[in-house]
Amino acid sequence: MSADLAFASVIDLARMIGRKEVSPVDVVRAHLERIAALDGTLRAYITVCGDAALTAARAAESALAAGRPAGPLHGVPIALKDLYDTAGVRTTGGSKIFADRVPETDATVVRRLKEAGAIVLGKLHMVEFAYGPEGLNAHHGAPRNPWDADAERMPGGSSSGSGVAVAAGLAPAALGSDTGGSIRIPASLCGITGLKPTYGRVSRAGVLPLAWSMDHVGPMTRTVADAALLLRVMAGYDPADASTSVLPVPDYLAALTGGVKGLRVGLLRAYFLESATSEVRAAVEAAAKALEKAGAIVDEVALPSVAHVGAASYAVVASEALAYHTGLLKCRRADYDPEVRKRLQLGAFVTGAHYVRAQQVRALVRNDVDAALARRDVLLAPATPLTAPRLDERQTTLGDGPSEVRGALIRLTRPFNLSGHPACAVPCGFGAAGLPIGMQLVGRPFDEATVLRAADAYQRLTDWHTRRPVLA
Amino acid sequence: MDDVFDLETLRHAARVAGFSWPDEELEAIHPAVQASLRLLATLETLPLDGVDPTTQYRIL
Repeated sequence: MSADLAFASVIDLARMIGRKEVSPVDVVRAHLERIAALDGTLRAYITVCGDAALTAARAAESALAAGRPAGPLHGVPIALKDLYDTAGVRTTGGSKIFADRVPETDATVVRRLKEAGAIVLGKLHMVEFAYGPEGLNAHHGAPRNPWDADAERMPGGSSSGSGVAVAAGLAPAALGSDTGGSIRIPASLCGITGLKPTYGRVSRAGVLPLAWSMDHVGPMTRTVADAALLLRVMAGYDPADASTSVLPVPDYLAALTGGVKGLRVGLLRAYFLESATSEVRAAVEAAAKALEKAGAIVDEVALPSVAHVGAASYAVVASEALAYHTGLLKCRRADYDPEVRKRLQLGAFVTGAHYVRAQQVRALVRNDVDAALARRDVLLAPATPLTAPRLDERQTTLGDGPSEVRGALIRLTRPFNLSGHPACAVPCGFGAAGLPIGMQLVGRPFDEATVLRAADAYQRLTDWHTRRPVLA
Repeated sequence: MDDVFDLETLRHAARVAGFSWPDEELEAIHPAVQASLRLLATLETLPLDGVDPTTQYRIL
């Protein structure tokens, strides 16, 4: 398989397929060959749908020959975090408890992607039941971060396989889910783009939950433009998910004007930049300067209630996760990853009063983010305060002192799960060890168009997103 | 806080929540329970009078 095809964007693949410059069969076969060659080491996939993908690709080829393209993703392969229900294909949630769980129907977003012409390559590794940011999984082993597979670096989680597959050219795009940062953390650690849309923008129907009020689903891609295209297909009201909004879905691609002149950017220093390592802080500050040089108006802003996000997020996620898992914990307790079981068990000691106070804090945090965005278009912060730790690393040192790795990874992403605002992570540099650095842009509710416009403009100014890991 | 949540209290609290977990698992999570309760206690120190809890997540 040529490296050009392996790392072609979704938009370029769709264009080449539409012009019959390349066959969907060739594109799918090429990715399957690359998966066969590299995934034994990288472990991005739990299930590869090789035969079904080739069958779908042949059908796409025939439809194209007959002048009947399905939609904007016609013939383009994608991969799914293994918590998206797929009709007839097992959906494990990264757990042996669901090892033989085969849904009868597709999740709403999977159906929408297929209707737009996408072809499912397979189901991707993840932290068991999406409960953890490191990307570790006792049952399946941890996927390897392709930027330093030899040193066994964390891919980030919980959408670990999604980050690895897209970064390593094992899929042009993937879907992830984000409850405390599980799209943006692996995007940051693996050097790709990851979009957490506004809560309610994309249906969660048919997606295994971790915590209903914090779960968001979204695309993970190599470019912001690809994320914009996928979001357009995925977003919109779904009667099967009562949280989805009836707001119309804009043409996100059309919003990518490339310009940021006059865009008001609020740089989050307190809590965010202050906790980052020096190399992450320098990279994000350089990104702010690049946007400013391109015409953006950058100032600094703080979120006063953000220090309480950790306690509030914990109370909400632990309570809701335990609620979902109560029955399984009673009958399949021994089959859980011990670390995940422990996290679930802790939920038993969170009271109803804690949960309600957490929801009060949630209101404060949402108000703070809204206030910061009242006179700004986007907020800018690191996505993670550090680059990918080693798989066995449990303690680290951040800009403001020592921290557990787990807490460090989710520290800067989860405020926007609690608030529900859209946030997009993009690569903004590389650290001394050659590992990617990620930043995030946060926008007003349902204003993904501005977030994507700013992130795309940044990618037009820089080449971090075009760099590829060296793989054997 | 540390004194309040000994193993017996933990066992009792788990039962109240509907779970009967073996002592070795309760011992394993004991330090994490203490840490999480300290974290949750910070919620009780915040001036939240007059702040309505978030009850609706669909923003629009």
